[in-house]
Amino acid sequence: MHALVQGVILGILTGGVYALMASGQTLIFGIMKVVNLAQGAMVIMAAYLAYGLFTRFGLDPFLAIPITTVIMFGLGVGVELLFLRPLRREDKSELSLLVTFAVALLIEGVLSVTWGTTYRSINASYANSSWTVGSYQITVVRFWAFVLSLVALGLLFWLLNRTRFGRAVRATVQNPESARLLGVEAQWVSALGFGLGAATAAAAGSVYGLLYPFYSGSHYDLISRLLSIVVLGGLGSVGGAVIAAVIVSTSSAIVAATISPAWSEMTFFVILILVLLIRPRGLFGSVNRGAI
Amino acid sequence: MSIPSVLRGGIFVAALVTLPLLGLQHWFLNLLVFVLIYATLSSSWNLVGGFAGYPSLGHAGFFGIGAYTLALIFRDHVLATGYEPFVLLPVVGLIGALIGWPIALIAMRTRADVFAIVTITFLFVVQTLAFNLHDLTGGSQGTALPIPPFNADHYEVPFYYVLVALLLFTMGLTFATMRSKVGLSLVSIRADEDKARGVGVRVIGVKVLAFSVSVGITAMVGAVWAYYESFIYPQFAVDPLITIAMVLMTFLGGRGTLWGPVLGAVILESGQQVLTYQLGAVQLYLIVYALIFLVIILLLPRGILPTIEDRLRLYRRRRRTDAAPDDWPGDLAAPSSEADTATLLGGGAT
Amino acid sequence: MDQSIRSWRKGGVVVAAASMALALGACASSSNNSGASATTSAGAPLVIGASISLTGDFADSGKAVQRGYQLWASQVNAKGGILGRKVTMKLVDDASSPTQVVSNYQNLINRDKVNLVFGPFSSLLTVPASQVAKRYGYSFLEPAGGGPKVFAQNLNNLFFVQPAPVVKSGDVFADWVLSLPAAQRPKTAAYTELDDPFASPIAENVRARFEAAGIKTVYKEIYPAETQDFSAIMAKVVSANPDVLVGGTQNEDAYAQVKTLVQLKFSPKFMFLSNGANSPLEFPSKAGTKNTPGIMSAGDWFPGSTAPGSADFTAAYIKANGGTADTIDNSSAEAYACGQVLEAVAAKTGKIDNATIISTLHQGSWPTLLGNLTWGPDGAPSGSFNLIQWQGGKLVPVFPDATAKAKPIYPKPSWGG
Repeated sequence: MHALVQGVILGILTGGVYALMASGQTLIFGIMKVVNLAQGAMVIMAAYLAYGLFTRFGLDPFLAIPITTVIMFGLGVGVELLFLRPLRREDKSELSLLVTFAVALLIEGVLSVTWGTTYRSINASYANSSWTVGSYQITVVRFWAFVLSLVALGLLFWLLNRTRFGRAVRATVQNPESARLLGVEAQWVSALGFGLGAATAAAAGSVYGLLYPFYSGSHYDLISRLLSIVVLGGLGSVGGAVIAAVIVSTSSAIVAATISPAWSEMTFFVILILVLLIRPRGLFGSVNRGAI
Repeated sequence: MSIPSVLRGGIFVAALVTLPLLGLQHWFLNLLVFVLIYATLSSSWNLVGGFAGYPSLGHAGFFGIGAYTLALIFRDHVLATGYEPFVLLPVVGLIGALIGWPIALIAMRTRADVFAIVTITFLFVVQTLAFNLHDLTGGSQGTALPIPPFNADHYEVPFYYVLVALLLFTMGLTFATMRSKVGLSLVSIRADEDKARGVGVRVIGVKVLAFSVSVGITAMVGAVWAYYESFIYPQFAVDPLITIAMVLMTFLGGRGTLWGPVLGAVILESGQQVLTYQLGAVQLYLIVYALIFLVIILLLPRGILPTIEDRLRLYRRRRRTDAAPDDWPGDLAAPSSEADTATLLGGGAT
Repeated sequence: MDQSIRSWRKGGVVVAAASMALALGACASSSNNSGASATTSAGAPLVIGASISLTGDFADSGKAVQRGYQLWASQVNAKGGILGRKVTMKLVDDASSPTQVVSNYQNLINRDKVNLVFGPFSSLLTVPASQVAKRYGYSFLEPAGGGPKVFAQNLNNLFFVQPAPVVKSGDVFADWVLSLPAAQRPKTAAYTELDDPFASPIAENVRARFEAAGIKTVYKEIYPAETQDFSAIMAKVVSANPDVLVGGTQNEDAYAQVKTLVQLKFSPKFMFLSNGANSPLEFPSKAGTKNTPGIMSAGDWFPGSTAPGSADFTAAYIKANGGTADTIDNSSAEAYACGQVLEAVAAKTGKIDNATIISTLHQGSWPTLLGNLTWGPDGAPSGSFNLIQWQGGKLVPVFPDATAKAKPIYPKPSWGG
């Protein structure tokens, strides 16, 4: 029982981090109907950037976030302009997948050339400390990561709901044609939207680097988990992604605690298959934006 | 099918069959074995990704399934002639196709991008299972296949011929498909699935058939590869990079064409093997792969063969301004297989 | 359907042309290629080929192996080479891929016709490569393929250049624990094992011996390679409260286990990690220097070793690559040892061809900087590793007594020193 509760605590805290990563991915899909298979690679890249800043300048990963956010935002806009914009409309759905996959490989290749393939992790001084609450341990890093995720998601919600840009994004998500008629420049929304998705990866990357050891090839595991989360939440729904992240992460932690860690990976996949069988549009996806 | 094309097809087959008899060195036969592996893989991927337009990113999962199936069948087996695994290949292919059937039924109900997600997920599921099911697969310790008792002098030759047979089978299948109703259905699905359904094409049936056949072939190639390597590990038998290679080769050569995937495989696989060996530490191979991919998709989206074909047709058209347009649909239609669809669906003359 | 037919023809022509070009290129290069002559006339260079992982997942260790091979080659050439022949290493990259490694050894043996070959990095690549070497009668001295499946192949041309099969690296820990007086021995044990050919078999061996001696197993877990979160597993270890924790680990999971135990505030009386903790620089940096004292691991070479050739190796390595003795990766030492074995065979028999190597190495004891090595018929070495322990921020061998430099500290001090 103790192990179970500890597992649930762990799942919820980790869920916040995954929510942050998944929100960027689902946002990109909502705006551009593109599944960004490079999202995982962007998180890892941000983790390396934070790692570099930490080892070179001693900059705390949390404090590095403003810097990495700007860099990743620029990268995201660049990727959209260079690689996604030129795709012709009719091939877009099929080819954008392959393009983003190729971008993921490109990022992985650059990272492995720059930093080699040894595992890295950001060993801040508080990396191993934990608070004891009752008989449970709460790792300091995980707690602050959760808080950060909430803050970042709050910022995202504010951006989407209270700013002109956010309104334009939501309009484009709901109905691109009408949005265009109303004067929303779809081109700009796409580029900035992709940049925004990449920027969320920046925050997630700092956290990821603190929590887990990573190397250039870590993005495969990450992307497969993110995909199940966004499909469960409903492609295009940020709120859905958040809730789905907590659900999936907690289920995975429960499986690890009660059955075996070897099978906790499968939790992500099982949930994905179940969603696709029972309710393909996910929890909050809309019918014509969803999976079918 | 005109006589010259039969001739060229025949030359290709004859060349493939006689190549090993020229006394080529072991290392070259080894290279050919790998080129054939990827040529067959790309050709089979082409059926789903090229013709039907569904980019499956999970074919490597079936490659691994084929590899492990063969390993399981021959676990602790002592081989008499060494040809037993080859004889049982169709069984492996059937198993692959049978597993692919329900996957296709679930996955192909969705749009292309979600289809890709499902197939990637399938790939990771297979990999996880390969790691976790120790009793079946040996887990991370890997599993051995029996060593073929072939003479060292011509060790590679049986593998070579089996792969040639698989490649010709796949190409023959592709050829037959292109000229049949199934082929037209696939092309129409790729162009516009809803319209195709409206016209009465049996969309689900055709898609699932294409997928099952494609993965069945992939599984067989995986089995041959496992037998050749003599030892397999989960992360190599079920490797996303295999899928990437298949996709890239098909795209490079030309999706939806007969020879495109083969050309792509010849260029990329031999190039990669040679470059990795000669240039020592080619740090950049992943970057080079990714860049080639991006360049192809953006600049040569239809691949080498269709692009060459377009150029030639343009050239010929300029020269034939006076000639009567006596072949149908020939020069009148746009130079793509979509043209056939347009004619078919748009109510062309028949 | 005309354009489709035309495209087939065009396609056929293009493919045929490409294949012809390939074939011509192959014939041309094979006839032009002189490679290394197969003669053993004195003076002709001795070309040794090896495929190592210079890119891909194994790149960092692969490069350490490369440094070892190259260092040995330059050392031996400075002494006049082997039997008067200058040694040339032909090293190629296999990108950590088993497909490429097979092709590489095919090319090395059949195209470039190297005289001898050394092995690649990791059991995963060693197994397929050794088959190729066997087919063509080449001896296969390999520094890094020591998992059980390597020896299960029963290849008489294969020699694993380390003191013992990797599976046995925990045995020296079991030896020591069981040598303690009964009152001081641990009573309960937990096993956390990475699902990896190098890792879990080690812990399983220890478990078999501990259980036979009456040490109760209170928890055992085999976790998959992608496990990043050890909280769940280590939490269960904590609730089982074992006296000794035996970790069958690689590097990352070893660091993670230590970190997690620190977070959970649990310190077992005895702790053994098969890998990770034997890394002189990485371990204190990743797990925290003040958390290291008392943790044990196994190793073959260590800085300050007095085994034959070790001092020369250390000095030459630092001269060529910089750093200190502590930054030397064991893989370099193991690769270097392969060369030492070759030198010894040449010195003993006066010949250096594959058949001689294969027939000679199955008897006798061969001195290297890893200690004296002896091999059984399947290539498995029959020695033992050293038990090493962290004391005062440094790794010291503590058992067996013959190589020990300090007495083992037990029970393990609590976290944070």
